[in-house]
Amino acid sequence: MAQTDEFYYESVQDTETIKEFLQSLLDGLEKGRILLSSNGNDISLQPANLLKFSVKAKNKGDTSKMNIKISWKKPRPVNITVDNDIEISS
Amino acid sequence: MISFEGIKENFKFIIIETRKQLNATLEFFESPDPSAYDKIYSRDDYIDNLKTIIENKCYARINTIKNLPPEEINEIRAIQICCVNLERIADNFVNMIRQMGHLEDQAFINQYHYKEQFRKIQEGLDRIDSVLEEKNMSDALAVCKIEYELDTMYKENFDRIMEELKVGINTQNLITTLFIFRYLERIGDSLLNIGEALIFAILGEKVKIHQFHSLRQMLSDTGYEGSIGDIEFESIWGTKSGCRISRVEPRRMADSHAQGSIFKEGKLHKVRSEKANLERWNEQFPGVAPKVINYQEDEDYASLLVQYLPGRTFDEVILSIDGTRMSDGFHLLTDTVSEQWEESRQENPVRTNYVEQIGDRLDQINEVHPEFMRFEQNIGSARIKSSKELLEFCSRIEQEIPAPQTVLIHGDFNISNIIYDDKRNRLYYIDLYRSRDFDFVQDISVFLISNFRIPVFESEIRDKLNWIIGNFYTFSSQVARKWDDKEFEARLALALARSFYTSTRFELNPKFSKEMYLRAHYLLEKVINHKQRGDAWETFKLPDFILYY
Repeated sequence: MAQTDEFYYESVQDTETIKEFLQSLLDGLEKGRILLSSNGNDISLQPANLLKFSVKAKNKGDTSKMNIKISWKKPRPVNITVDNDIEISS
Repeated sequence: MISFEGIKENFKFIIIETRKQLNATLEFFESPDPSAYDKIYSRDDYIDNLKTIIENKCYARINTIKNLPPEEINEIRAIQICCVNLERIADNFVNMIRQMGHLEDQAFINQYHYKEQFRKIQEGLDRIDSVLEEKNMSDALAVCKIEYELDTMYKENFDRIMEELKVGINTQNLITTLFIFRYLERIGDSLLNIGEALIFAILGEKVKIHQFHSLRQMLSDTGYEGSIGDIEFESIWGTKSGCRISRVEPRRMADSHAQGSIFKEGKLHKVRSEKANLERWNEQFPGVAPKVINYQEDEDYASLLVQYLPGRTFDEVILSIDGTRMSDGFHLLTDTVSEQWEESRQENPVRTNYVEQIGDRLDQINEVHPEFMRFEQNIGSARIKSSKELLEFCSRIEQEIPAPQTVLIHGDFNISNIIYDDKRNRLYYIDLYRSRDFDFVQDISVFLISNFRIPVFESEIRDKLNWIIGNFYTFSSQVARKWDDKEFEARLALALARSFYTSTRFELNPKFSKEMYLRAHYLLEKVINHKQRGDAWETFKLPDFILYY
């Protein structure tokens, strides 16, 4: 069965305080590693290669919502069997 | 259809059968005889059945007949409670007989006084029916009183048996005898329940006997000469503070100006401090708090009879009237508060304890919302402090910013503790038992959040609540500026965190309670961030959008 490590955090912030979290995520993207921990459980994410990035925004009545989603698949190890010595002949 | 007369008829029977059980038990004590034993056992089954029949009839009549007069409903409820207790009394007679079997010598018990107890119980049983028929309050009280008498008699036998046990002989007989007498004492408890049920049938209100005595004493002290049965006794609310509050007024008010009063009964220290506070308020700000009419105390409880203030709670009125009248009420409130603050203000710094107040209520919050405790978390390099850490940190910060002055605060300045008479434009405070000289921020925060936490989400009402919140906050900030209270906003942030967090324990709506929990954490973090930046406290700005929903 696929392992699902989960991390969840919910809070209220203002535009000033939220910056710290977003900056920390930017740093993680740059380093290729974001470490999340909660109550002694660590989850490590390694964003790399092709990332799916979506932005969803909505105004509904007096509520506005913006979902920023970044998802990716762990790169599957590719077994390279092509030998340099192989001759390709036409 | 089940007739009330039928229920009463059955009720008479269960009393007669219980009385028979009493006599048979007494005879058995005097001359134990196996056939009497069997009879008592089989009668017990009959009494059980009778109780079930009466209970079924009582429920059926209440449920099937619409518009039964309230007096009849009360009487039916009283009959049902009496039956449960009569059946329990009958059971205790059987238990006594059963215990007799453990006596090595069945005549052993005859060296003790027990006939008087049986006589008292009989006296109680004999009164029940007539009290219910004639609604005679003094007879109902006489039934209640038997419990005290049985307790005293039990104590005498208990002390004697304890002494005799020290000698070390006849242990089995002594212990068995004690068990038997204990059943007689328990019968007293059931008689007390019956007496209280009878009082309920008369007054239409559940009154514990000790509350009843204090009420009666107070009424006679105040010169009331009528019968207590002529008093309306209406329970107004069971409060969160553990006090019981009732409204008392003459049943037939010929004089429409006759004033009722509020009877409040509770733990000694709470009621005592409320009385002292009411007196202080009446002296300093006459007309704002109710007047004390009478006060009684005994070992653990105290009771207070205070003037009844006409009007409805501020929230009830404000939310039901139009904008102009709401604004009138609000200005009366700020005028009252302003006078109260200005006149009682003393420039003595006082340490506040808002964060500590959260700590005192954490267990209660946890019981309702165990998930409202944040653990330490990390998102990359951003560290999220746990709830515990936030509280510890903020508690230390709070020590740095004492309030520069005190005022006479209400102490629980919840919007529902303000009574507003919109017809006469008068305003009163109730529930003043926590009133003291303290930081005015305590009252401001409780008032603001008592508006915020009203779980009404229709925009029309929410706009009104936000209007009150916004205007009261602006008014308070102006006072703080006038007094040059520079750290007002920082203290208010902590006090609001306290009010938000602790209000969650009264709110079961998951979304709304979570909102308050998150806002409390946001405020605590905000205060800590300010501290960590090393900024002066007077530059702290309360993010006032936190006040609106």
